[in-house]
Amino acid sequence: MEVLATLTTLMLIYSLYLLYKFYSLKLSSDCYLIDYVCFKPSSDRKITTEMSGAIVDRNKTLGLSEYKFLLKVIVNSGIGEETYGPRNIIEGREDSPTFDDAMLEMDEFLNVSVGDLFKKTNISPQDVDVLVVNISMFSPAPSLASRIVQRHKMREDVKTYNLSGMGCSASMIGVDLVRNIFKSGKKTLAVIVTSESITPNWYSGTDKSMMLGNMLFRSGGCVMLLTNDPARQAQAKMNLKCLVRTHIGSNDDAYNCAMQKEDEVGRVGFHLSKGLPKAAVRAFAENLQQLAPKILPYSELALYMYRTIKQMAVKPKDSSSSAMARINFKSGVDHFCLHTGGSAVIDAVGRALGLSKYDVEPARMTLHRWGNTSASSLWYVLGYMEAKKRLRKGDRVLMISFGAGFKCNSCLWEVNRDLDDGDVWADCIKNYPPQSLVNPYMERFGWVNDHTEDSFKQSEREFLSTR
Amino acid sequence: MPSPPLPDFSSSVKLKYVKLGFRYIVNNFLTFLFVPVIISTILQFLRNGPDEILSLYNSLELDLIHILCSSFVLIFAMTVYFMSRPRRVYLIDYACFKPSPACRVPFASFMEHTRMICTDQKSVQFQTRILERSGLGEETCLPPANHYIPPKPTMEASRAEAELVIFSAIDDLVKKTGLKPKDIDILVVNCSLFSPTPSLSAMIVNKYKLRSNLKSFNLSGMGCSAGLLSIDLARDLLQVYPGSNALVISTEIITPNFYKGNRRDMLLPNCLFRMGAAAILLSNKRRDASRSKYRLLHVVRTHKGADDRAYRCVYQEEDSDGHCGISLSKDLMAIAGDALKSNITTIGPLVLPMSEQLLFFFTLVGRKLINPKWRPYIPDFKQAFEHFCIHAGGRAVIDELQKNLQLSAEHVEASRMTLHRFGNTSSSSLWYELNYIESKGRMRRGDRVWQIGFGSGFKCNSAVWKCLRTVKAPVDGPWEECIERYPVEIPEIVKL
Repeated sequence: MEVLATLTTLMLIYSLYLLYKFYSLKLSSDCYLIDYVCFKPSSDRKITTEMSGAIVDRNKTLGLSEYKFLLKVIVNSGIGEETYGPRNIIEGREDSPTFDDAMLEMDEFLNVSVGDLFKKTNISPQDVDVLVVNISMFSPAPSLASRIVQRHKMREDVKTYNLSGMGCSASMIGVDLVRNIFKSGKKTLAVIVTSESITPNWYSGTDKSMMLGNMLFRSGGCVMLLTNDPARQAQAKMNLKCLVRTHIGSNDDAYNCAMQKEDEVGRVGFHLSKGLPKAAVRAFAENLQQLAPKILPYSELALYMYRTIKQMAVKPKDSSSSAMARINFKSGVDHFCLHTGGSAVIDAVGRALGLSKYDVEPARMTLHRWGNTSASSLWYVLGYMEAKKRLRKGDRVLMISFGAGFKCNSCLWEVNRDLDDGDVWADCIKNYPPQSLVNPYMERFGWVNDHTEDSFKQSEREFLSTR
Repeated sequence: MPSPPLPDFSSSVKLKYVKLGFRYIVNNFLTFLFVPVIISTILQFLRNGPDEILSLYNSLELDLIHILCSSFVLIFAMTVYFMSRPRRVYLIDYACFKPSPACRVPFASFMEHTRMICTDQKSVQFQTRILERSGLGEETCLPPANHYIPPKPTMEASRAEAELVIFSAIDDLVKKTGLKPKDIDILVVNCSLFSPTPSLSAMIVNKYKLRSNLKSFNLSGMGCSAGLLSIDLARDLLQVYPGSNALVISTEIITPNFYKGNRRDMLLPNCLFRMGAAAILLSNKRRDASRSKYRLLHVVRTHKGADDRAYRCVYQEEDSDGHCGISLSKDLMAIAGDALKSNITTIGPLVLPMSEQLLFFFTLVGRKLINPKWRPYIPDFKQAFEHFCIHAGGRAVIDELQKNLQLSAEHVEASRMTLHRFGNTSSSSLWYELNYIESKGRMRRGDRVWQIGFGSGFKCNSAVWKCLRTVKAPVDGPWEECIERYPVEIPEIVKL
């Protein structure tokens, strides 16, 4: 009898232990952002609007219509005077980028920011278990992930992942990858490195749809440290609540709207079609459909259901687009990190979500100060909010990004403690928001709108000779 | 005076039987322990007779409560145990790209093209020598763009090659498994040297109209070992999403990577890399277990990038004329051997039977404490695996691994024949090799397969699979038409 009781007790203890292990597995699926470091290139890489104009001038094949088009793009872009570009473009060699130029651009970022993150968070490179690198338009062999492993002498069993080709929303994909690895339960430390390579991707032709990329992308990058170790929670800045990925590549128009390809004469460029806003809207709508139930409080969801039913009762065939505008996202989200794809994108997303000027300010200011740094732009926006001391404990931050494919990825973070680290914004935050965002180029070159093709060429020569 | 080294006993026949006996005893230790105990218990019962047993049972004073509690605890313990196990990952099936004969590059074609494209006579001679000793055959294939003189590496041609190889492989896989594209939950694509925006994964989403909440990942730049890396990623994702399947695509796109210069260390890839792709369907659903071919047991990844020499041994850079190419250093074999040793150190304890592990342990202890001149014991991996798929990176890699792991010619036959028939197809070569073994009718239920991949970085990744059902030849796949002719004798040097 005693034997049986002992055996039963032993089994019970063992099974309770297994149960505890099982549930601790489930609990440690938290994903904490310990810290992040954005990249600030050296000041000799600044590109002013005047320099952009000079770069455009260098392309002698452009005619009046292209010049006007580019002018409109530069002026309406919302990009300021202090953004950064890659060295080869500033030095005038944009037409013939070498492999070494591209590698140099990456090295300038990697050699600085990754080390900075380790120093800031007091982590040794040997402690890193997972390394995710995403640089969409440059993918050498060995991968840039291996380059980081080599430079920082990481462990042999480090899990590296080098994502490429995934567009401007790829930093969310990196976070998704890391979040899934965290769910295995083992205490893991992950580093995500995100940036974009501009050097090898300059378009030197005359196709308008491909020249947009030249004007809008700027240099930047971000390195983030994440973990699922509850012991580091006190140190963490934010906690990931949910992440939603949407891929509408199955739609041909959406897939073709942002594509790297050759123009008619064989020059490679990044083609952005007129159908891009429509694809973005579709992807965004689908993403919100999945995201809204996860982030909004029940009261707001109930109100939305009530409004929809009421609307359907009155006008049963009404489309849902007007109904969507009446969801108040601000009931579940305090801050919005919008992808700085351009002022049009920020305005459109702001309108769709019903955001105020205060809400879109971080994105607009990031676009002004840093330009469109592709996948890392969200982190500069986050840095602005932190520098402005907007992020308090318990606040919820929504990040939304779009990318080629066509993808829309979003995630919700909850702020873990009051944040006030200015990082790359520290030296200029007091100048923001500036009095005026109007582009000075417009004032100087507004005459372009008054010319015809022939008179343009004549006055252009006259004008340029006086500069 | 140093003590004489331990004589080479392994050649002694008597020792072979001792070793065999040792293996039997250690591997079946528990059986040897339990069998006498069970026999003696049975004898005891028989001696006592049924009445005594009954009285013994009654003396326990068991009543219903005790029995119920005990059975409840037993069931509870078993449930929790099964729930906390990691999800099993099954390989339902896989398909390899079967190149059309129109893309064939026999030696004569390759040399003719080389002579017309290459300006430097020395480079032509070098490439001739490489091709003679490469172990490649006359039926390897290059993409259409590389058949032009000079090759036309446009982005459009690269995308065309990607569509050709990837879509053929996926179409084959769909036919074999009855997979509906809308059912794919996870998509992982790895292609090292071609990474357009939107990615190849987006290209697949577009062509097959995959779902919008699909989890897709596009890995790039990760070398020839990236196939197993993708399997590892898919496995990690399948642990998180129950009841899902994952499509893994491993390929290498040759078109944009033709090297136009004259540096010898960069001309090697031109000679060795060929067109290929593989599509693999993984699942974690229990009901797929009955129709799956393999189950994934282990994946072990080793990254030697911290060592500068290892990092630089496969390196993409520009030569002095501005031509971009991938240089392969002379240390490649040594570094590969080193990476393999590190990988084995991790995978050994997971797969080797107890006898091998004890021998290795004792030899290690002996070398440290008794006599450092003892030869290090190389565990016999043939005890742990029935089949080996070694990345067909080149003849030298296969030779080196055969020596390191002490494998017989039959074990490396799949790798050598794949190199001969398809060339170095990078990350997909492991799947061509697996298909060879299946086509030869050698794959039986319960067999374990070890796939080893090497790649730039320098990485060594291994995967261990267990076969769940005997694969009957003939097998649908790239070897279908030519398996009868294999194995072929591959001469040391083919005279060109």
